[in-house]
Amino acid sequence: MSPALSAEKLVKLFPGVRALDGASLRVEPGSVHALLGENGAGKSTLIKILTGVHRPDGGRLEIGGDANEVHLDSPQAAARAGIGVVHQERNLVPEFSVAENIMLQRLPTKGGLLDRAAVRAEARRYLELLELDLDPDRRVRGLPVSQLQLIEVAKALSMDSKVLLLDEPTTASTPSEVDRLFGIIRKLRDGGTAILFVSHKLEEVYDLCDTVTVLRDGVSVLESVPLAELARPQLIEAMVGRAHTVTELPERPPSDANPTLELAGVSTSDGHRDVSLSLHRGEILGLYGLVGSGRTELAKALLGLSPITSGSVRVGGKQVKIHNVREALKKYRIGYVPEDRKEEGLFLEQPVSRNIAVAMWDKLSRRVGGVSAKAERQLADEYVERLGIRLASTGQLAGELSGGNQQKVSLAKWLAAKTEILIIDEPTVGIDVRTKAAFHELIWGLAADGLAVLLITSDLVEMVTLADRIIVMRDFHVCGELVNDHVYDSTSREVMELIHADAPE
Amino acid sequence: MTSLSTLAPRAVFRSTESTLAILAAAGFAALAIASDGSLLSGSSLETLFTYLAVPVLIGLAQMVALAVGQMNLSVGALGGFVAVAAGSVMAHQGVPAWLAVLGALVLGAAVGAINGLVVVLTQINGFIVTLATMTILTGLQYEVVGTATLSDYSPGLRELGRTSVFHIPVIFLVAIAVAVALAVYLRRAIWGRRLLASGGNPLAARLSGISNNRAIILAHCLSGLLIGVAAVVTLASAPGVNQSIGGDWLLASFAAPIIGGVALSGGAVSVTGTVLAALIVRLVDVARAQFSLDPSWVNFVVGAVVLGTVVITHRRGASA
Repeated sequence: MSPALSAEKLVKLFPGVRALDGASLRVEPGSVHALLGENGAGKSTLIKILTGVHRPDGGRLEIGGDANEVHLDSPQAAARAGIGVVHQERNLVPEFSVAENIMLQRLPTKGGLLDRAAVRAEARRYLELLELDLDPDRRVRGLPVSQLQLIEVAKALSMDSKVLLLDEPTTASTPSEVDRLFGIIRKLRDGGTAILFVSHKLEEVYDLCDTVTVLRDGVSVLESVPLAELARPQLIEAMVGRAHTVTELPERPPSDANPTLELAGVSTSDGHRDVSLSLHRGEILGLYGLVGSGRTELAKALLGLSPITSGSVRVGGKQVKIHNVREALKKYRIGYVPEDRKEEGLFLEQPVSRNIAVAMWDKLSRRVGGVSAKAERQLADEYVERLGIRLASTGQLAGELSGGNQQKVSLAKWLAAKTEILIIDEPTVGIDVRTKAAFHELIWGLAADGLAVLLITSDLVEMVTLADRIIVMRDFHVCGELVNDHVYDSTSREVMELIHADAPE
Repeated sequence: MTSLSTLAPRAVFRSTESTLAILAAAGFAALAIASDGSLLSGSSLETLFTYLAVPVLIGLAQMVALAVGQMNLSVGALGGFVAVAAGSVMAHQGVPAWLAVLGALVLGAAVGAINGLVVVLTQINGFIVTLATMTILTGLQYEVVGTATLSDYSPGLRELGRTSVFHIPVIFLVAIAVAVALAVYLRRAIWGRRLLASGGNPLAARLSGISNNRAIILAHCLSGLLIGVAAVVTLASAPGVNQSIGGDWLLASFAAPIIGGVALSGGAVSVTGTVLAALIVRLVDVARAQFSLDPSWVNFVVGAVVLGTVVITHRRGASA
């Protein structure tokens, strides 16, 4: 049987990064195919190529048969070629009716005007196919998210799609909604549709999918392998990789005996349950878990961005309640270097000096309230030298720097603010290997200087290289803690065993 | 099925629209009683509706811009410029009225399209672009008419401006016909739907093969066309046109759609609500005349109501 969708050796280059470097997958009609990969593996780039958002720099894409090569240069072209997409975020027009949203890509007309009867009739066909009992004339605004998602499935099918791509469809669903969605997916599969299911929830993948492709570092490390032949540890290992070496870093002075940050039985409104950990000055504590295990959310709750519902947080031995980021920074000296430096970390249109000094403006300000540009520059120069940021001058705009240097600027901001506890989230995503090593030395050096570092990373090699202890999280709780001996094979196995032992069968 | 209220059968609008309808009816009744019934006389009704035509049209012109999440600050300046330009070619160059009217509509639509094109090509906010064209057009209006007032043009057009059918002025009927046509366009025409889809969720529209740029240009073009109609109505009904025409249109143009329940963020329009809100604002003006209140009082009330509406809508949106 010829595959419904076949991608061969796709390559996609971004400035400084090979996001995809030979990614391949084949999806057969009437099957559900899982696409897996950790942060930065190239999953979203592949999805964007399949949906016509990005054009590949190399490789071959075929839809509906071996010889039918396609070039998708727009989302519409992808839809016309037969790839229906349900994106992770909802994409419906709130003021339009259910029927019109379903048919929006090819609204039927009569005499130049919208043919409402045809819109309704066509839409009803897809609603019935999905066993969705909804009034097609109902306005979309106000419908529950799970129904919006099914409407989008109907919309994706409205173009007679041969392939249905579902991008993380269950992130916001309750178990019963997931069951319903899976029922529909199975029904479509039995009807001959090829389904590409993108997820990071392994239970769901095993429950639903027939075959799997795993991406790592832009390459398909497993390509269209039947899931029945693949045990869960093998799958996880394929995702996180093992063929890496851990860099040796010099000895560090021992960390303080008394914890500077201590969480005991913390639960949050995001769904964390009974999280306990302690972090000492001069220590790097790793927070490991697969994507979606709640690590970033825990960091944000610590900063006061979402409420902590029970348990206690102690900073320097005293119980505290942190209400907002400003308080976290000014009062408790906790800094957070976000994963998404472009969106959350930097002011790309502002000079580097201002980016570094922004958290220090109230210290730098003179009596009249202005901030001295000279003081800003001095402060920036100090950290540019200390972190080895490569730039022409501190007057350069942050947006002009390379990814690694941007990340250093983002880090410099928090160091300049004299933080004592630094949470660093996925510091090296999208950064090339050499800069990565320099960054590791930098983080190591910060801890040697007495900073308490909470490191969040999905890169297990990075974790084994840097962390003193590793807290392993799964599904918003801690499933274990281990002391890192910096030996990749044994530590990674222990981490995987902790995750695996915790997962429901 | 074809009444104006079913042209926008949206639950929120229905409640806003029925509230506005009740408010308008109550206000009208109160004024009729306060004036000892003189408001119900033929000439009073004619005055009421004559001066309602322009607010309805400019309210709709602003509504179309708001539909794609844009603003059109050049409403008054464009209307004033088109009115004096058409008046001037009729008075000085002897251009026949039908041609001047046609020219006014084309000119309005063309300047609107330019607004849209500039927004799309420069990616600059429509607020700034139309602020600039507003200033340019105000200058052009002065250039055309100077300090003079033109009243010596097309007796036929001016006669039409004074004609009524059963005490309902023809120009008001024109405004209502335009409103109905616009409602049908936005509800049924493919490009009307695309315009609203783009305003409601640009990302979803783009992923469905709808060009957001075209929707923005179309919205500004339609906005300009409606202003062209408003300029023609002004030519027909005003005692003369001069440099001051259009000067007081800006707040009125925002008041009608905002009170009428149109979303500032785009995608949600209500022709009925906009027309009813224009009527309510007009009734405030009538009340001012009735009770000989200070004219600034009207601006105060309308401004306060607009602000209040925005706050209430925002609160409602936040709690939903």
